[in-house]
Amino acid sequence: MRIQPRRQILDIWRSVVRSSFRDGTWEWRGREESNSISDAEQLLCLLYPATEIEELALDRPDEMAEDVTKTLEKLGEPKMIPQRIIEILEDYLRRYTTDGEPDFGGKGYLSAESGEPTDEQLRLGLVASYSLSVSLCLAALGFLKVYKPPQKRGDKWGDRIKKLQAELNRRLTASMVGLLRSFAVNPIDTGVDDAEVRAAMLAMVNQSNESHRVVVAKLRERLARQRTRLMEDATLSVSDEMVDKLDEDTTLFEIGWAWGIVNGATAVNFVADVEPAKGGFEREPEICSTPGFAAARPYLFTTVLALDGINDIRSTRTQELDLLNEEQRRLSDALALRYELTQRYWSIIARFSDPWPLEDIPWRTSDGEESDYYSLMVSAVLVQDLEGRRADDDDLDRAVTVFESLAQRGRITRRVTKDDASVALHVPGQRMRLEGSAKLGPELLWHASDFAPLLLKRCLQAAALSTRRGSRDRLMDLAETTMDHMITRRIEVSEASGLWDDPGEILFPYDTRPAEKLPSWYMTERVVEALVTASRTFRKEPLRSTAIRARAEEVLHEADQLLNQLLLTSDSDDTSARSVQLTEIERKISRANEILIDRPATANALGQSALRGLDELAVAQDNASRGV
Amino acid sequence: MLVFAASDKGGTGRSVTSCNVAFHLAQRHDVAYLDFDFGSPTAGAIFDITRAERGIEQEGMHSYFTDGLADPRRLDVWTSTSRPDLRGANIRAGRLTFFPGEIGGAEFGMTDERVDRCAELLTQLDHEYEVVLVDLSAGRSTALHMALAATALSKMRSVTCRWLVFHRWTRQHIVAAHGLVYGKHGILEVGKISGHDQKDLQEDIRFVRVAVPLLKEHNPAQSAPQATWLLAYDDELRKLAVDRRLGQSRVLGTTPVEPILQYREQLITESDVAAKIANATTIKGFRSLADRLVDDEVWEGA
Repeated sequence: MRIQPRRQILDIWRSVVRSSFRDGTWEWRGREESNSISDAEQLLCLLYPATEIEELALDRPDEMAEDVTKTLEKLGEPKMIPQRIIEILEDYLRRYTTDGEPDFGGKGYLSAESGEPTDEQLRLGLVASYSLSVSLCLAALGFLKVYKPPQKRGDKWGDRIKKLQAELNRRLTASMVGLLRSFAVNPIDTGVDDAEVRAAMLAMVNQSNESHRVVVAKLRERLARQRTRLMEDATLSVSDEMVDKLDEDTTLFEIGWAWGIVNGATAVNFVADVEPAKGGFEREPEICSTPGFAAARPYLFTTVLALDGINDIRSTRTQELDLLNEEQRRLSDALALRYELTQRYWSIIARFSDPWPLEDIPWRTSDGEESDYYSLMVSAVLVQDLEGRRADDDDLDRAVTVFESLAQRGRITRRVTKDDASVALHVPGQRMRLEGSAKLGPELLWHASDFAPLLLKRCLQAAALSTRRGSRDRLMDLAETTMDHMITRRIEVSEASGLWDDPGEILFPYDTRPAEKLPSWYMTERVVEALVTASRTFRKEPLRSTAIRARAEEVLHEADQLLNQLLLTSDSDDTSARSVQLTEIERKISRANEILIDRPATANALGQSALRGLDELAVAQDNASRGV
Repeated sequence: MLVFAASDKGGTGRSVTSCNVAFHLAQRHDVAYLDFDFGSPTAGAIFDITRAERGIEQEGMHSYFTDGLADPRRLDVWTSTSRPDLRGANIRAGRLTFFPGEIGGAEFGMTDERVDRCAELLTQLDHEYEVVLVDLSAGRSTALHMALAATALSKMRSVTCRWLVFHRWTRQHIVAAHGLVYGKHGILEVGKISGHDQKDLQEDIRFVRVAVPLLKEHNPAQSAPQATWLLAYDDELRKLAVDRRLGQSRVLGTTPVEPILQYREQLITESDVAAKIANATTIKGFRSLADRLVDDEVWEGA
């Protein structure tokens, strides 16, 4: 199916409004018990496209497109829509703020193998929540920056908006602190404790079967810059003990984001010098010094989530709208540094040897877990690196092949067989143990079930970067097939129809599963994200082939010359159909010349059409001059 | 509630739209329709009232203002109309009373006394009817000035007034409508001089876009480039409208192009639609205008 972001997002919006907005109030209701992540996802389904796609903007009621206002009819007339969104945002913040402290708990998204998670565990801040919060707050702040409330007698919106902005800013600052304190450096030395981790890591990167000594030396060399930075940059607050470890010749390391604030993470003691009215805290928020529980080990899935969130902080939109305050800019710099290091680290690891470790699917993490999901995560980082133009088209071509095999293995381009183990990748999803959480109760589990929409998003993102038609076409084909897969997973019945996820038909063809009736905001938001990515990809100009341009030039040369000849032999007073056709031909040629550089294939088509017209006249002329 | 219908240009469909809105309002409310188009009173024809087709001979709106007539003539539309489908049998909740102008009447000047009489009439009718719709003539007319001056009087302060500015969906009409409201000697400027709070007055003004083509509907006679051009130009007009402060949030509603109305100004009723003579979208447009006209939420801050 052709991916059509505008139409498909509007379809989703219609369903979101139908299932969430009832009797004039917004209901936070999804498949899992409502929590800070799920509710943010529900809201982002609406707000993310509205702030990322110009044509779907909701912040200027007068300029809303008609299809948009019609889709959101239930929210009220155009000028009411921004006010509704403000009310929903206020409600969200009310729900997830306790005593002035932003709340980042994962509740319904968490489970445990044995026993029930404790209350304390359910309230634990998670990187997934920090990252999503960053995106939500930035989207909302940008929205409020543009929206002009009605100038009313007895203005109430102005004050409400100011208050909301301050609260959003506090939440944004807190989630940035959360991200900062969840960054993990994991040195792997030769000690017994690290033996297994070390072996797993070396096995993964050593694709060309070299001796471990050589591999370690190479790794050290390739990662020298990252290592030096970690040891020397004081702002990274790496402990002295860690520096000593990293300094040893044989030490390997991993960096990225843990699942939450790292156990023993240094407190962030930024001076709260921003006024509360402008989004500063009255006192230092707890998140700056709250003890962390997560093992100091990067998880691929949270690393990718964190990178995505930080991407939003660094985006041109954030800069253009000037959304960050001073405190946040400082945090943003600190996060950007970690972003760069992590990005480079994983990009180097993914392509460390030949064949690439990434090509050896499934990826095995240093704790010995293998999964296609991890391969997808590493590819995501690689594609991101491509965006910074530090990987080239050859790299991308290889990544496309990785995506294609992931799609096959993930049963997106292959059908599901009986008792197919690959289905578990989607339902219940890749299971991850949140190491360190056992200190507060049973060890927590997180299931990442977004393999398919993430693959979709990454394909579309990569397609925008590719400058080779072949790989771009392959990526678009794969994206469309993945979209087809997602379409069959839409909920069909109940008010949530049109939302995700009901995988029964495609993933469990041999079972009898009852139809799903409640939306998974987790999945729906991922699809929306993918569609927003698609809209960015589609905005790019088509690739320009030099070959077709050369051909167009030849064609136009001939057409131009023939036209000149014909004009020479045409009576200058002629106004017959012949002169009409000549004018038409001339117009085509000049149009073709105008667009030759940007759209050579179209220019070629116009040139061909001009030639055909010219030949009609030539044939007639020849026929007549055969003699009387 | 008083509703004033104004337009910068003639031929905008101000009267025919107002009459239709009055007709729909009268299904649920008591409505009075006052023909203040002194130079060319034609509302009688739209209601199909034969004896008042171009105004009545005497005792109309003119005489009220110029001869000191105490009670201008009232015509009950339900009984005076010659349209059979509007007469008799249908049980309706509201009255629809027409206050016609006079044949051969002309525009007259504005005096303090006339302003006072105007205020007196409007106040009285506001008590008698739920909606009083006043059809002002085109441009910066005496009727418009008089209405602005009368409603500015402190004795009328408690009466709800709403102003509608009708314009067609073309560049020239948008510019003209903008001028009528925001321009020199426009409603806001004159209103201010008359004693209105300019900001409050502005909030009581909404625009009505008349005869807007439904570009997104299938039209077999149209070529793809033509449709593309129209859609793109429509977008430009929308931007122009926003730029001229005629944007969506200040619009009360839109009526589509209705072939019947291009030939004959009349009420469009359900029976016209049932007979497949008129488009259903036309009635929908009028009905929505009527609904929104009395919906307070619509009038809260633009």
